[in-house]
Amino acid sequence: MSQTSPLNQVLLHPDRRFGADLETWLIDIGGEGLEKAIQAPDEILPTIRTANLLGLGGSGFPTHVKWEFIANESNDQDKYLICNGNEDEPGTFKDRILLQETPHQVIEGAMITALATGANQIVFYINPDQTESLEAMKEAVNQWDETQYINQISTLLGRPLEFYVVASSGHYIGGEETAAIESIEGKFPFPRGKPPYPAQQGLFGLPTLINNTETLANVSHIMRNGAEWYINQGAGAAHGTKIFSLSGDVLRPGAYELPMGTPLDELIYTHGGGMLLDRKLKAVFTGGPSNTILTPRDLDVPLDFDSVQERRSSLGTGAMIVISEGTGIVRRVTEYVSFFANSSCGQCPSCKTGTYYASQLLSRIDSGNGTRADLDTLINLTRILPGSGRCHLLDGAMKLLDSSLYHFMNEYEQPLRRN
Amino acid sequence: MNSTSATGIAYQEAIEQYRPQPERPLPEPQLENRKLLKKFHPDHIDSSRTRLNIGINRGDNCHKQLAQLLQSDSRISEADLAGAATINTDVLVIGGGGAGCAAALIAEQQGANVLLATKLRLGDSNTVMAEGGIQASINKEDSPQNHFDDTIRAGHHHGDPDLVSQLALDGPDVIRWLIQQGMQFDLDEFGDLLTRRAGGTSSDRICFYRDYTGLEMMRVLREAVHNSNIEVWDYCPTVELLGDDMKGCSGAVISSLKERKYIQINAKAVILATGGIGRMHLNHFPTSNHFGATGDGLVLAYRMGAALRDLDSFQYHPTGLAHPFHLAGMLITEGVRSCGTYLLNGQGERFIDELSARDIVAAAVIRECQEGRGILTEDNQNGVWLDTPGIELRQPGILNQRFPKLMHLGRKAEIDLTQKPLLIYPTLHYQNGGVVINENGETSVPGLFCIGEVSGGIHGKNRLMGNALLEIISFGRRAGLMAAQRRKNKRSSQLSIEHLNQLRRELTTAEIPLDCQGPLLFPEYAKFDLDSDYEGLRRNRSSKP
Repeated sequence: MSQTSPLNQVLLHPDRRFGADLETWLIDIGGEGLEKAIQAPDEILPTIRTANLLGLGGSGFPTHVKWEFIANESNDQDKYLICNGNEDEPGTFKDRILLQETPHQVIEGAMITALATGANQIVFYINPDQTESLEAMKEAVNQWDETQYINQISTLLGRPLEFYVVASSGHYIGGEETAAIESIEGKFPFPRGKPPYPAQQGLFGLPTLINNTETLANVSHIMRNGAEWYINQGAGAAHGTKIFSLSGDVLRPGAYELPMGTPLDELIYTHGGGMLLDRKLKAVFTGGPSNTILTPRDLDVPLDFDSVQERRSSLGTGAMIVISEGTGIVRRVTEYVSFFANSSCGQCPSCKTGTYYASQLLSRIDSGNGTRADLDTLINLTRILPGSGRCHLLDGAMKLLDSSLYHFMNEYEQPLRRN
Repeated sequence: MNSTSATGIAYQEAIEQYRPQPERPLPEPQLENRKLLKKFHPDHIDSSRTRLNIGINRGDNCHKQLAQLLQSDSRISEADLAGAATINTDVLVIGGGGAGCAAALIAEQQGANVLLATKLRLGDSNTVMAEGGIQASINKEDSPQNHFDDTIRAGHHHGDPDLVSQLALDGPDVIRWLIQQGMQFDLDEFGDLLTRRAGGTSSDRICFYRDYTGLEMMRVLREAVHNSNIEVWDYCPTVELLGDDMKGCSGAVISSLKERKYIQINAKAVILATGGIGRMHLNHFPTSNHFGATGDGLVLAYRMGAALRDLDSFQYHPTGLAHPFHLAGMLITEGVRSCGTYLLNGQGERFIDELSARDIVAAAVIRECQEGRGILTEDNQNGVWLDTPGIELRQPGILNQRFPKLMHLGRKAEIDLTQKPLLIYPTLHYQNGGVVINENGETSVPGLFCIGEVSGGIHGKNRLMGNALLEIISFGRRAGLMAAQRRKNKRSSQLSIEHLNQLRRELTTAEIPLDCQGPLLFPEYAKFDLDSDYEGLRRNRSSKP
């Protein structure tokens, strides 16, 4: 990389965070990627494939694979692209910045995606609590309507390109792919069973592609600068950049866009200003926080999907909630598990009762009223519950609980009542 | 007592030279009021002012002692809350004075579950010390408009017109409500409310009960609270407010002095009614305030993100007792001046219109002392005479009839007030500024209400006599109502102390040492028996510079 500092070079570049101002965006770098895409629509997919753009909403699933599913569906029907901006996980705050401060970056990415996959109906699906994001996106979408790009793309697609800005229901579970589809259809966001996959039968029964906001935001840059450039943005073997939502006991929490593969200690100590009050690091809850907890031993882990996976955790949304010595793990886990319990849609009995029961047991232990039997029950739950829900909510909650039990069993045992 | 000059006429000499006279002329003022304030009022001592470096009011002027507390570290960290019990309630009222009680009563009347936590005991407050009375434009020739004009003018046009207008309009109804609660007022022979004129006002507007109006008010409110379903926690200072995941305030951490443990309260609305800052002894002044007035509410609200205002403006009541030493700082009601008592310097001369606004009279007293015309006691305390024998000559019997509490004070000081004057000097009395609120007592933080002395904006840069008692009931009732309504549509939320992390981040970034902990809770000279001393308090004492 040629820049002196790797911070905020692409998506969160300080010069590009001007909100819904299409004129400025087009004078700056806007439109370049889109024009390349319009000139050679067939080149889009191969470029993304070479760049190996991954799903940045947490899955790390190769984006081009997802796109190919949709592209292969027949073009004589409407196809949907949903830009997922439901973002409601504790400790994650990247999409709201992209939507609010760089709406055109997201929209241009979505238009290129539409060209690549044949999707002509683009839905921006946004958390209703983020009113600024909603307003910025509504305004930004209207600004594009006055350009010639819409007609050009519509002609290429053979169908009119249309935008919708939709407020989600505000439920955490509404961020799950099929739940988002239900929600946009006007129903309660119950996740659907798969198959059929959304690529075949999604929104209103039509082929539907769902990408995270950050994933789409990258697309125009890749088209503008080429796949090679994107690959070089990453550190080590990883490609591109990632926005990390750093929070917790650090001096400077915030959203930091850094090369994918930046080590955890560099994020915390160089960019985050180090630990608050110079306390010792105790644990890091990663993206969600429905993942395995990272501990001080993992400080050297490069933050990319594969490397974090090797530590048996997951990068997730890029949220890093840092916990210092002196902060109780049990209380935090109790908070997060009760968040999952409150967020469960309730259609799978194992999830509805399992998360609730786990959060009750945790509260009891945290408040000093738990017994050894409670703890044993809790451990049992982490063994029997995973895999029994339609979506991953239950799995995520149990993964978090299980890893906290693994690393910090003494903190669970310490407040137990005798007898 | 810290007047810069220690010159003056010796107390013994002055008291021997003193002769009661019914009338004394008022000399022409030598200095216009604005210059008098600038030169002599303690708010204008440059060396005691600074600017805030952290928080929403960064860059604002603030008194140094207050700034130190506003920029102090929290007493608690997350570890302190591990295992702390959590209690749920609808409305949490913090503070057991008049404002807290009024808010709690109205919220409870609306059907809310109300918990009232107070640092000392219910009624231990400055409300009971308010002697003069309560303003309300109830006379035929008076109007809320006049009340509004007087209040704005006395506050040097710094008051928030919306708040002042709500205060003035609410006056008569507040009196009605208080009478309904059972409060007594002094009445004329027809049973109508007696009124008198406060310094700096245009009309007779003070309703009063003897010279212990506040005590009577608190008696009634306290009984009403005890006869309601409000849960009262005595000896439970609040050490921190709790945030939630929606940038609001959803409760507080309370330190139970009796059980020696922290308790978390999860509330849908929090009403701060913690009073003022007198016991911080700004500029080393004595204070008329009660033991608990240590500015806790300002510190808590500021950390929570609430905006403050007028942090460099305080009221020094002109007539605090200066002699004998052990009673120094005790308040002598403005009622004494408002019925015509003169202030005299050591040469037996009047030097200011005694019915001017409080800050002007206080500045004039300080001027007399600094310029050597004051009276100096053996304890090196300066002061001027409050000419009680003079008023007794003009209106025989008035002292015994109208000012029983003052006469009692005279007996404690072993001075016969009908024969000898009292030595007085300004005493730190009231915090004019405070947390920014709207007409309902709501702060800029959702779910957090501030009422009474801890709030700011009503009195501008100077408060009129009698407006404090009116304010606590007027805004207390409104905040109680709004808080009770708020409980109905508030989503439950996760409690958090992220605002304390934010505080520590800002302190670290601004390179402010974290060795001072706030809120103060108790004055520094407070002595605790070993039994009540526990970790939280011990930490505070050891960290004092």
